[in-house]
Amino acid sequence: MIAATIPRASGLGLKSRHCAEILASRPRVGWFEVHPENYMGAGGPPHRRLAAIRRDYPLSLHGVGLSIGGEGPLDAAHLARLRTLVERYEPGLVSEHLAWSSHEGVYFNDLLPLPYTDGTLARVVEHVDRLQEGLGRPILLENPSSYLTFEESTLAEPAFLGEIARRSGCGLLLDLNNVFVSSQNLGFTPESYIDSFPLDEVGEIHLGGHATEPDGLLVDAHDRAVADPVWALLALVLQRTGVLPVLVEWDNDVPAWPVLHREAVLAQRLLDNCRHARAG
Amino acid sequence: MPAQAELAGALLAADRPAPAGLLPAGRFAVHRNNVVAGLVEALGAAYPAVRSLVGERFFRAAATDFVRREPPRSPVLIDYGGGFAGFLGSFRPAAGLPYLAPVARLERAWLLAYHAAEAAPLPIAALAQMPEAVLGRCRLVPHPSLRLVVSSFPVVALWAANTGRGPHEAVDLDRAETALVVRPEELVVVESLTPGMAAFVATLADDQPLGAAAEAAMRADSGFELGPALGRLFALGAVVGLRQSSFEGDSR
Amino acid sequence: MNDSTRTSTAMLAGALAAAIAGAGGFASPAHAANEKCYGISLAGQNDCAAGPGTTCAGTSTVDYQGNAWKLVPEGTCQLYGTSTEEAKYELPGDREGSLEPLARDVPA
Repeated sequence: MIAATIPRASGLGLKSRHCAEILASRPRVGWFEVHPENYMGAGGPPHRRLAAIRRDYPLSLHGVGLSIGGEGPLDAAHLARLRTLVERYEPGLVSEHLAWSSHEGVYFNDLLPLPYTDGTLARVVEHVDRLQEGLGRPILLENPSSYLTFEESTLAEPAFLGEIARRSGCGLLLDLNNVFVSSQNLGFTPESYIDSFPLDEVGEIHLGGHATEPDGLLVDAHDRAVADPVWALLALVLQRTGVLPVLVEWDNDVPAWPVLHREAVLAQRLLDNCRHARAG
Repeated sequence: MPAQAELAGALLAADRPAPAGLLPAGRFAVHRNNVVAGLVEALGAAYPAVRSLVGERFFRAAATDFVRREPPRSPVLIDYGGGFAGFLGSFRPAAGLPYLAPVARLERAWLLAYHAAEAAPLPIAALAQMPEAVLGRCRLVPHPSLRLVVSSFPVVALWAANTGRGPHEAVDLDRAETALVVRPEELVVVESLTPGMAAFVATLADDQPLGAAAEAAMRADSGFELGPALGRLFALGAVVGLRQSSFEGDSR
Repeated sequence: MNDSTRTSTAMLAGALAAAIAGAGGFASPAHAANEKCYGISLAGQNDCAAGPGTTCAGTSTVDYQGNAWKLVPEGTCQLYGTSTEEAKYELPGDREGSLEPLARDVPA
């Protein structure tokens, strides 16, 4: 197994259908990321593939199922499953979402929105604390794609996330496609969001494609290439943060490997530009 | 303010209005759609043969009903949909397709085998090392992935034809089939068993000794041949251990 | 030891000897051979897209609110026979589906 550390380079969301090609050709990709929930079976081909990938590439675990924003207590069984995977695959990064997805034992398979209030802030911080204690390591928390807001919200999302990071010691995962999707759906500029975002806390950047509904609504569908305005946001953020791990997600209508790989090459080009600009 | 209980309740109930306090209220439909369409898609991935059998429109409609009735109880979605075969079996609009539920049971067995724990298959030579006198009392430990799906329909042929693995023309609905599902290594193997072999494997899987399994097989099928049956079972990688009796421990 | 046990033991030993002698000769199972031929790049029909998985993505596939009570199965099951009598079900209560996509709000 090579070193766990995620490099400040571009990586890709790992799709099982690409594994054979990746293992045969060992392409230049900085690192891979998976959803741990898809590797929580006892055995079988998913684990065989992931173990083979992990021998050659650093890995990040990007959870979708812990329901960190849930009103109930953190799911101890799910946390234990996650810990088992962390011990087995030694990921360089572990991340989760600012969202809830379970209520009273029912799992909704969606990243559901939270009101940004002092009450939810305290709850999320408590859950992040428990998660970090359970894993014995810090995590990154990702900003959501939003379609609506809550009347009761009193805090802006960047400030809310910054406060979670300050109180819990977690880092942040800045998803620039989510910023763009939310900005269009809720009517703000992505630049204003980034201006107020606690960029010092960012440990990873996500990019992905979004779908545009006939009525103009943007859906965070991860079903196509990264959109031009999202690439522009990456260039903007990298100017301020310097190079960071940058990951491209493509989860629906997954393309052939060369098409996905091209997204990583594009992201790497922006990272290289950033490095040169800073060195020069 | 909408508590999560209220939001949760409205996510799975299409006829319930969006909870108050959301701006714009109509956007709640995006999440409602994500939840249901996402889970319907998950079922479609787990039950490709059922989907092919009934067509996309009918599948989505039936799966939507199931999702609203039995949403997941765990974030580990690879386990979701265990109740789908039972649901289809009592689903009135599918009453004309009595083979649908058995095909769903086979697809579920396939998925469980796919994600089952690993265990190293035992070569048949290990059985030959047992003293002849205790052979009949010997129990075979099945691979953790091993499943049997018993049906009065040609469940293997229907499944194969509807997952691109076999021809459509060959399916004769009047034929009963029992499927053996096992994944000793990378691939999930699905085999149609003769009645004798089906009784043999079912008895062994029920933790009965080899002698009892052979007798059950011969009762089910007078033409049952033990040698080829044992050879096949070991060749499939379906056996991972031997026990001389339930009290003498595991010789794996 | 009674007769049936003795017969059984002898039979088992003989069968086992025959099975071991022929152990190398078993063909690989038909479906496994097929799956190898397909390779693992063919999505949906093999181990690669096996079963449900989670993603952190939303979906642009719109769920239809309509239900199966108004629909007749129309996939490959028609090759094997669907009872058209059975397809005319009674609608329980006033259950009816319109098969209209979910309404989504126009952005503000």
